Amino acid sequence: MSGYKSKNGYEGLLIVIEGTDGSGKSTQIGKLKRWIEDQSYGVMVSEWKTSKFIADAINDAKERNLLNATTFSLLYAADFADRFENIILPALKAGFVVILDRYVYTAFARDVVRGHDIEWVKNLYEYAPEPDMTFYLDVPVEILLKRIIGTTGLDYWESGRDIGLSNDFYNSFKMYQNKCLDEYQKMKSEYGFISIDGTLSEKEIHKKIISNVKNILDVV
Amino acid sequence: MKNKTRFNEMHNFPGTLICVEGIDGSGKSTQLVILRDWLKSLKQDVIFTEWNSSDLISQTTKLAKKKNLLSPKTFSLLHAVDFADRLEQVIIPALKAGFIVLADRYVYTAFARDVARGVDADWVRRVYGFAIQPDLTLYFRVSEDVSLERICANRSPKFYEAGMDLKISADPYESYRIFQKRVNDEYKKMITEYNLVEIDANESIHKKQLFFREEVKKVLAEKGIIL
Repeated sequence: MSGYKSKNGYEGLLIVIEGTDGSGKSTQIGKLKRWIEDQSYGVMVSEWKTSKFIADAINDAKERNLLNATTFSLLYAADFADRFENIILPALKAGFVVILDRYVYTAFARDVVRGHDIEWVKNLYEYAPEPDMTFYLDVPVEILLKRIIGTTGLDYWESGRDIGLSNDFYNSFKMYQNKCLDEYQKMKSEYGFISIDGTLSEKEIHKKIISNVKNILDVV
Repeated sequence: MKNKTRFNEMHNFPGTLICVEGIDGSGKSTQLVILRDWLKSLKQDVIFTEWNSSDLISQTTKLAKKKNLLSPKTFSLLHAVDFADRLEQVIIPALKAGFIVLADRYVYTAFARDVARGVDADWVRRVYGFAIQPDLTLYFRVSEDVSLERICANRSPKFYEAGMDLKISADPYESYRIFQKRVNDEYKKMITEYNLVEIDANESIHKKQLFFREEVKKVLAEKGIIL
């Protein structure tokens, strides 16, 4: 009825944007949301780590530096399970286009970098449906570093300081993000990501995204 | 179908991990406390750890329970967080230091309760694949009816212990009986799956303790500790 070509078995569409912090995801999601709304579709955006209770627990634990690699993984998995069942799934069933800022791939990358077995991590998320389309904003680590230092500054966890790669913040960030980028590279073909050069202008990236989204939305 | 995980192999720590399992009202906590005092009187290094008690997350879980906000799967993962935290912070360091670790409930509680709530049995077992295999686990067998009598002698069943979130019955007493029976059924399946040592919870406190001590002595003797 909706004219979507959905893979997930539900009425709605699931579009995922992946990429590390500073890759420009939020900007692109804002633009994509507006564009899809302009085509008269219902759109909903949900971001990683935003469930009511669990996100607070994660932030609190991170602040107090209380997490080990296993509790880190499991808390994010709990956050996702909560959002999936209370927000994402109802929206998909109701026929919304659901745009997700990060998806299970984020967990796969981070948890593997923290030393977990990929099969264990995949099991945590095995109920998550395959997205209809996944975009990956590819930005080299040198540019990410500049963007992040210039805006939010280096964060303890985004620099992987918890896993003791280096005592130097700058080096730790670089090493951690490089490891995450490696994991994303591996997943590109495994999960059919549409990789977009994140160093292009906002406008160019947006154009590339909508030209792909058009293929799964019923628009002329 | 068992994956090759830490939980499926015997641990090599110098310490000893002893767990008690069973539905509420089976008397397992009483038995564990008596055992602890006895071991301490024999100058053994002992620590005690309880289900869902880590600082990291138990407040979140309690709050969420109060508001009945979480699905069985989210619930399951939050309990796994709590367990993982205690495992890394308390249980493993103590085992490395040669302690006898007494756990009031262990992963089998998750396997029983979560599956009784409809979570997939293999999934939850894989989630806990990082756990340490206990040296001894006692399963205190008690019927749902006796459990209800003991737990709810002077109060009504609580929302979650009665499995009211599953909407089996609007009557909390009836719901308790049905839900706890499901939990008990899951425990019974695990007796052979995990070599749980079964004990009849209807026996006297004294008799149960004698049996418990014999089992503990056997396990410790294998490690060269003669009590």
